[in-house]
Amino acid sequence: MTKSRIVACLALALCMQVSANATAQDMSFDLEETESAGGKAEASKKGGKKGQAKVEAAADANAEATTDTATDTAAETEGAEEAGAEGGGSLIGDLAADDPAEAKEATEAGPKLSEVSEEIYAVQQVYALRNNRIELLPSFGFTLNDPFVTHANIGAGLNYWITNVLAVGANLNWYQGLEKESELNFHVRRSARLGTRPTEFQFGASLNMTYVPVYGKFSMFGRYIFQWDAYLMGGVGVMRTRPVPVVDPQIRSFDYSYKISILNPAIGLRVFLTKWLTVFAELRTFPYLEKLESLDVGLGETARADKKGWLDKDSTLVFNVVASVGLTVYFPFGFDYKLPK
Amino acid sequence: MNTASRWLFALGLGLAVAGVTVDASTAEAQEVQVTGPLAGAPAVRKMRIYRDGRFQIQPEFGATLVDEFVRTMFVGAQIGYHFTDWLGIHAFFDYGVPLATDLTDQVTERGQRTDYNALSLPDPSKFRDQIGEMKFLTGVQATFIPLRGKLSLFQAAFVDTDFYLFGGVAFASVEERADVKNGSTVVGATCGPATFRDARADGQGRFNDVNDACITTQGQRSTRLAIAPTFGVGLSLYFTEYLAMTLEYRAFPFKWNTSGTDEGGLSKERERDTSGPFPDGSIDSSDRTSQFNQMFKLGFAFYLPFQGELTK
Repeated sequence: MTKSRIVACLALALCMQVSANATAQDMSFDLEETESAGGKAEASKKGGKKGQAKVEAAADANAEATTDTATDTAAETEGAEEAGAEGGGSLIGDLAADDPAEAKEATEAGPKLSEVSEEIYAVQQVYALRNNRIELLPSFGFTLNDPFVTHANIGAGLNYWITNVLAVGANLNWYQGLEKESELNFHVRRSARLGTRPTEFQFGASLNMTYVPVYGKFSMFGRYIFQWDAYLMGGVGVMRTRPVPVVDPQIRSFDYSYKISILNPAIGLRVFLTKWLTVFAELRTFPYLEKLESLDVGLGETARADKKGWLDKDSTLVFNVVASVGLTVYFPFGFDYKLPK
Repeated sequence: MNTASRWLFALGLGLAVAGVTVDASTAEAQEVQVTGPLAGAPAVRKMRIYRDGRFQIQPEFGATLVDEFVRTMFVGAQIGYHFTDWLGIHAFFDYGVPLATDLTDQVTERGQRTDYNALSLPDPSKFRDQIGEMKFLTGVQATFIPLRGKLSLFQAAFVDTDFYLFGGVAFASVEERADVKNGSTVVGATCGPATFRDARADGQGRFNDVNDACITTQGQRSTRLAIAPTFGVGLSLYFTEYLAMTLEYRAFPFKWNTSGTDEGGLSKERERDTSGPFPDGSIDSSDRTSQFNQMFKLGFAFYLPFQGELTK
């Protein structure tokens, strides 16, 4: 019995020593480091006394456990831990106490302080994992570089995240019905007798790859933490457009036609509101070759009606720069971390 | 940007802000709700305080966006002082260098002058002389820094960042085509559709007089200081304790006559050059149109004193 007591004392001393000599990796915190240390001394003392009493009780239980067989020891130790958890002894146990009066006291006195290191991790888990999740992106956008027509659009996108930083997907921006011709066109036509040749968009669609090279987090007023990332996107797609007839509008009319848009580079910023909902802002360029309305009008009704002469022979490289804001929703809403904390 | 797009832009921005605000209040996952030993502890420990009590001197470069006739490149500086880490006051001055857009080149090359638009475009080849330019932009603003954080680049480089909003008042030095009053005489003749038509009938000599009068008005300039609200957002990336790169979007809407043409008049129906009162035959303030002027800026901010503080 004496031996077992000695062994128990040694084990306890060893544990305390290991805890006290926490290395930098353990990230143990001293009471002085907590912001609420000052002015809470009384509450700390109360909590400290109570905690001390409960530790003594737990120590007694442990001492009793060492007097029995190994099996009994395990059972008694578990009981002692339960006692410790129920009775307090640890800050977490105290905070989880069912006693409302005790909880109220704790609230009024501020958080109780204790030197605990096991709840702090050197490497925290990524806030929201994306691999193997599907992302749905409704958005609203407008063009930044066309002073003649405001190409407002609504969009939808779908991404599948292969890894946490790489996704494949597709998106569609719908323009028809949302566009508005600028007054600049009228002003230029009247003042300079110059016909600007605007283009209408019906929709644009693209297959995309998304990569997230930059991520981080923001603290708002020291209370909220927002995870965010910046992403790069590229892909290939189509623009369905048509010229607005201004040179010979009495005769000419144009149907929408497809144009290939390549690269479609984009840069975006995504802020996580929850683990499945984000807001994003994106700047994207859709380069494509556009056939503008021809400035030449054939002589005679037959020549005017000849559709071959309605469009420029050469194509014009157009950069459709779109700024978008929207939401992203991740499915499934929940996910499991591969590794424990 | 026209009215509809401005509304859509405002709606989108509003929804985004509302989304953040509404969701943030119920976003338990994002809120620091630590119940363990870190309860009551600050969200960030040993955070470097970059702004509180420090001056900021920032050389900057910018370019306007969605321009009609002139794209303005800005070079200038911004100075500021931060009362706290989340609030400061700034003053800025940017000198503008105008560059003609493709539309200006096209009007110069292909614009047509008739009797009706003789005042708006006296000589297409000299159109560059009549368009409006911004000479400089200055102002004061309050800067609000609600978000502070850090980012990882390729999991290799870690950079402190903050996101800021600002709002204030801007003063833009605008050089526009000088006013031309309807019926006023310039170098012995009056520039206008009727005088042009009559002069053409009177012979080449009289026509040249009127033509000269119109061309003279084309090159006359006047400068004024336009007052405008200014607002925007920005992102700071801190490379060192005292140096940050800033990326900033700024809007400063106001009315000005970007083309130097006669756009004002009584008629709103805009009967295509067949109506009498429109255009009104004058170049004046009624020809100014609302412009949602906007620009993108890149800056390098130096903070003084060079050493900042750390939180506990």
